[in-house]
Amino acid sequence: MKHELERVEIPGEAEARARTWAIVGGAFEERAPSTRPSHWPRVAAVAVALAAIVAGALSSPGQAVLDEIREVVGVERAERALFSLPAEGRLLVASDEGVWVAQEDGSKRLLSGYREASWSPFGRFVVAARRDELAALEPDGDVRWTLSRPGARSPRWAGTETDTRIAYVDRTGVRVVAGDGTGDRLVAEGGAPIAWRPGVARELAVAGRRSVRVIDVENGRTLWRARAGLRPTSISWSANGARLLVWSRAGVRVFAADGEQLFELGPGASPVRAAALAPDGTSVAYAQEAASGTQLWIVPRIRPDASAARRLFAGAGAFGPLTWSPDGEWLLVPWAEADQWLFLRANGNGLRAISNISEQFRSGTFPRVDGWCCG
Amino acid sequence: MASAREERARVRGAQAGSVDDLEALFRVHWPRAFRAAYLVTHDAAAAEDIAQESFLAALRALDRFDRRRPFGPWLHRIVVNRAIDWTRARKLRSEVELPDSLPAAEPIRPPRDDVLAALGRLAPEHRAVVVMRYLLELTPGEIAEALDLPRGTVNSRLRRGLDALEGEL
Repeated sequence: MKHELERVEIPGEAEARARTWAIVGGAFEERAPSTRPSHWPRVAAVAVALAAIVAGALSSPGQAVLDEIREVVGVERAERALFSLPAEGRLLVASDEGVWVAQEDGSKRLLSGYREASWSPFGRFVVAARRDELAALEPDGDVRWTLSRPGARSPRWAGTETDTRIAYVDRTGVRVVAGDGTGDRLVAEGGAPIAWRPGVARELAVAGRRSVRVIDVENGRTLWRARAGLRPTSISWSANGARLLVWSRAGVRVFAADGEQLFELGPGASPVRAAALAPDGTSVAYAQEAASGTQLWIVPRIRPDASAARRLFAGAGAFGPLTWSPDGEWLLVPWAEADQWLFLRANGNGLRAISNISEQFRSGTFPRVDGWCCG
Repeated sequence: MASAREERARVRGAQAGSVDDLEALFRVHWPRAFRAAYLVTHDAAAAEDIAQESFLAALRALDRFDRRRPFGPWLHRIVVNRAIDWTRARKLRSEVELPDSLPAAEPIRPPRDDVLAALGRLAPEHRAVVVMRYLLELTPGEIAEALDLPRGTVNSRLRRGLDALEGEL
């Protein structure tokens, strides 16, 4: 019997073994040393939480001050609704009710119940996640397939006209499934953020504790790895796949597709709140904390030596996340304190502000832009 | 196959951070883990996933692992239990609604092997017991402990499994 069971031929055994070792070996190298955690961060967090509760329990005069601040924050001459986008394409916007597809003419459709979403590579489909489910939908809401996965999140879709793949994160780690929902498998341990290199869906950037690595999902091999200071808050490729942006509160780094570092902001810089690479990868915009709120900067041309940054905007509160229009002309800058979206021209010669964003997307919390796709 | 002493040394080395020792453990134990998962699930992708996740789970628990115990049975217990869960879950729900125009992945080829086909006609729990006894070479007592079953149940499942396989083979 033993002999019979051992001689059963298993398709792809050698490849499976290589892929698994790449993941297990990678996870082992990333393994945290087993040290006893300090109690201080928890004490500090409790103190902060208590302060927040006390602040939240302020009586109506306290609330009035908050309202007053909101009223004076923001661009004065703002449009009262999103009547149109300043550039071609469609937005995905995550709100409390679900994910909205906002068309260029301002019309919107709700994909109800989903928490986050991203576009397929050519904008024909949307992959969306809710608590225990991943779903591929058409932008009009027709569900093409669903996959039940506990804690599914951070779905990202990439590929060519004929072959696409979706990467996502669940409780087991980073997983990849074919565009038709089949062949689901684990490709790396760890969690979000993740980002596909546009084009053939093979190269996936995965955040580590203080690093980022780019893996080949076909064989699990690490193509390159780079230090990132802190755990990255977000990683994203430029739309042309030429450059990778990695940012955390500690700084911003831009890498070439082969891992060469081309740009670095920090350490020592003011904390970063958001960053985004232009579609062609030549410019990077970032929002940084300042004494009076947040400043938005743009580096129009990334150079390895000295990249000069230009201030594009400043205001109270926080901006972000930042999103470029598909043509690279505009930056969408969400501004929660003002309940506004700002559309800023990347060359500094244009600004459109839209008010009442939360109400338009029927959300108690400020809506988040998950993507602007495909002009 | 590594001796028990050698394996303890490998586990100790891996706990201390040696990639070489971890790789040695992987080389010895992955093939059986993968094969066991495949024989229970009959799905190569699922088996890869299960063996992979089990190794990662073992890795996460490595610091707490008691080196006096053998590594293999500990790992295989995780693998077989996950494979049974996976097979049960697949029976309970159809996960994927296939679309009509999205690009398709390679279709899953049904197993053709006689042994595999015969195993496939057993319930997953019976399949698992046969695989644990005859591939992983665990004793009925060890199987009972791993699957949290009475030893009599293990024996009866083994007998029924073998009867069914004999009929097929």
